Amino acid sequence: MSGALAKLSLGEWDDRYAQLKRNGFREPDYGGPLGRHLARERDFRLQSLRFDSSPAALRLWNFLLTENQRLRQARAKGDKIVGTMKDLGTVPVMAYSLPGVRAFYPDGAWWTPCLMEGSDRLLQQAESMGIDASFCPVRAMLPAFQNGEHFPRPDLLICSSGAVCDDFSAIAQRLEHFGHAILWWEMPRRRPPGLGEISCALPGKLAAPKIQVDCVRTELQRLAEALGGLVGQTLDDDRLAEGIHAANRVRRVLGSLRRTVYFAPAAPLPALEMLVTEMLAIHFCSDREETLAVSEELLAEAQARVAKRQFVTTSSTVRIYWVNPVADLRAMNLLEDLGGRLCGSDYMFTHALDLIPEDVPPLDALARTALADPMVGPTSERAARIVRDCRAGRAEALVISRIPGASHCAREGEIIRETVRQELGIPTVEIEVASVCDALLPTLGTRLQALVETARARRKV
Amino acid sequence: MIGAGIDAGSRALKVLLFDAERSQVLACGLADQSVEQERLAAELLAKLLEDSGLNRSQVSAVVATGYGRNAIRFADTTITEITCHARGVYSLAPDARTIIEIGGQDSKVISLEDGGTVRDFAMNDRCAAGTGRFLEMVASRLDVSWEKLAELARQSQRPALISNMCVVFAETEILGLLAEGKPLPDVVAGVQNAIATRVSALAGRLVAPPVYFTGGVALQAGMARALAEVFSQEVRVAPQPQFTGALGAALCAINGATWLNSGPAPGAHSGLS
Repeated sequence: MSGALAKLSLGEWDDRYAQLKRNGFREPDYGGPLGRHLARERDFRLQSLRFDSSPAALRLWNFLLTENQRLRQARAKGDKIVGTMKDLGTVPVMAYSLPGVRAFYPDGAWWTPCLMEGSDRLLQQAESMGIDASFCPVRAMLPAFQNGEHFPRPDLLICSSGAVCDDFSAIAQRLEHFGHAILWWEMPRRRPPGLGEISCALPGKLAAPKIQVDCVRTELQRLAEALGGLVGQTLDDDRLAEGIHAANRVRRVLGSLRRTVYFAPAAPLPALEMLVTEMLAIHFCSDREETLAVSEELLAEAQARVAKRQFVTTSSTVRIYWVNPVADLRAMNLLEDLGGRLCGSDYMFTHALDLIPEDVPPLDALARTALADPMVGPTSERAARIVRDCRAGRAEALVISRIPGASHCAREGEIIRETVRQELGIPTVEIEVASVCDALLPTLGTRLQALVETARARRKV
Repeated sequence: MIGAGIDAGSRALKVLLFDAERSQVLACGLADQSVEQERLAAELLAKLLEDSGLNRSQVSAVVATGYGRNAIRFADTTITEITCHARGVYSLAPDARTIIEIGGQDSKVISLEDGGTVRDFAMNDRCAAGTGRFLEMVASRLDVSWEKLAELARQSQRPALISNMCVVFAETEILGLLAEGKPLPDVVAGVQNAIATRVSALAGRLVAPPVYFTGGVALQAGMARALAEVFSQEVRVAPQPQFTGALGAALCAINGATWLNSGPAPGAHSGLS
C-alpha cells in the first residue's frame, strides 16, 4: 500500500508513545502505552493487530481496554453499575439519564477470548456451565459474571427477551440460574402496521403499529422505575429528554465520522478502529461524556486527514460494505491487507447509531428506537437498509460475517446476499470468523482476496 | 511472452508455462504437495523450463495461486484460485457460465459473466464433505486406488444413500453399509453422490448453464455424472481439469494482472504465509 499512512504494530506504538510523551503529549487519566494492556491484562491479541498511528486512535484503544478498571473506579466513587444486556443501545440511554449511574454491556465479553487469545478460558468455562460451542461466543459472558475478573458485578442487571437473539436469551437464563437476578423486559417482533392500525415511524425509515410502540413503552416505563429506584430518584421525562439529547450528540458525531470515513475517496481511518468506535454507540463504553470526547477526536483526525488527503488505504482499494461484527478483530486488518476498505457497515446495532426522535415524548422515542433494532424485525427490512447504505457508500462488494453459533436468523446471510445481488449485482461473500481465527486465516484470506479481485475485475468490464 | 502459473493446491502442486505469441501451453507438470512447497515449485518450474529449452529470464512473470500461493515467495504476485480457475476455464470454454471446482481440500462454485469475469462465488473450505478428501478417505479405508474407485463407481446399479454429512461419521456409515452386504460399487457411487449433494447446497442459485467441472476431482469418473444428477443439467468436464488453475495463473501473468492483485507480495503477510 505505497502512499498510504502506515499502521503500527504494538511495539511500534509503544515507541511512538515514548516519543509523543517526550514531546509533551497529554492524555486522559486512563491513557498510557498500549503495551501495558498486554503485560497487565494479558491482552495477547494486541500483538497480532496493526493500529492506526494517531493519538486519537491510541485514546480509543485505551478507553476500550480500561473499561473494567474505569467501572471499578466508578463503583469505588459510589456510582451504581447497571448491566444492560441484549438491547444494544436503548436502555443505556435511560441509565445515563440518571446521575451516578453507569451502564455497561456484559455482552461485550464476547471479545475477551479474542483479546486474551483464549487464555481467559471463558469459552471452556461456559461449556462446563452448560453453554457449549453451539452458542454464539457471547457465552463468554457467563463465566465472566462468575469469576468477576472482567467487569464488576452489577447493581442491577437488565435484559431484553422475546424477539431478540435466541442464543443470548438462553445464556441469560442460564446466568439467572446461577443466581444473578435479571430484570427482564419484553421485545415484540417488529411487524409492519396492518390495515386499520395506527402506524408509527421508527428511526431507519421503518414503521411499526402503535400497539407495538405502546407495548415497548410500557416495558421501558417499568425499567425507568427500576433505574430510578436504584439511586432513589425519579427518572422522569425531563431527565430522559436530557439523556436522549446527550445520546444524540454522540450519535451525531458517530454519524459524521461514518460519513467522513466511509464516503472519502480512500479510508482516512482503518476498518479496525471504525469497528471499535461504532461499538461505543451501544453503551458508551461505560462513560458517555468520554465517548463523545473520544469520537470527536477521531472525527477531527479523520477530517484533517481527508483535508490533507492522507489515507490508510489507497484510492484504488475496493469499497466493501461489511455486515455483522467479527469475533476476531484481526479480520478487519486482513480486509485492508488484501486491498479492501470499508465504505459502510451494519454491525447489528444500526438503531444505536440513528438519532432518537426528540419531537415525541421520551419513552415513546426510546420505544421507537428499540423497535428499530435490526435483530427484532424481518431480515428483508435489514437487507433493504443494507442496499440503501451500499448505494450511498458506492459499495463494490459485500461481506457478511457470520457469527459462529449465533441464531438471530438461520437464513439471514443468504437473504441479505440474495437481496444485494438482485438489487445491486455486486459480488458477495459470507465468512465465519471464530474468536481466534489464526487457523482459518488462509481460507478467510482467500475469500476476501477473491472478493477484492472479483470487484476489481468488474471495474474493467 | 511466456507466463508461468503455479497452482499450489492442498494435494498437488501444478506448474504450467504458456506462450502468449503462439497462444499455447508449452509445458505443464505436477507433483505431490509437500511441506517445502516453494522448493518443490521452483524445481518443477526449472524442470519444465529445461524440458522446453527455455531459461528463467524468458518468463515474463510468475503468478502463484491455490491454497499455498503465499508460500511461493519467488512468484511475482499471488491471485486466488477463484480468479485463476475462472480465467483458465473461460480460456478453454468461453461458453462457461458456471464452474464447479472440487479440489483436495475445498470446493467452489464460480458464476461467470458473459465476458468471463467472475460474477459471484461460493466456497466450502471448512468441511471435508464435498471435497476430494472424502474420496481419498474412502479409497484409503477400502484399500483401493483412486482409479479403481472410479471404476467401481461405474459398476454401480443402485447407489447407496450416505446420510452423514460429516466425513468422519460417514466412514463409520460406509463400513456399516458394507457390513450389511451393500455392494462396494453402490457404496462408492453413494459417496460420489454425497459429495455432489454437498456441492449443490453450496451452489445455491449460482448455477447457470453451461456448467463446467474442474479441479483434481473432475478426473474421477462418475463425479460429473453425480453432479449432473443433483444439478439436473449437463455438467461438462473441463479440458485438463487439474491444470485450469495453473493455466489461469499463467494467463494472468501474461496479461499483467497486477491490477487484480490486491494483497501483499507473496510471503509478505505473516498470517497468510
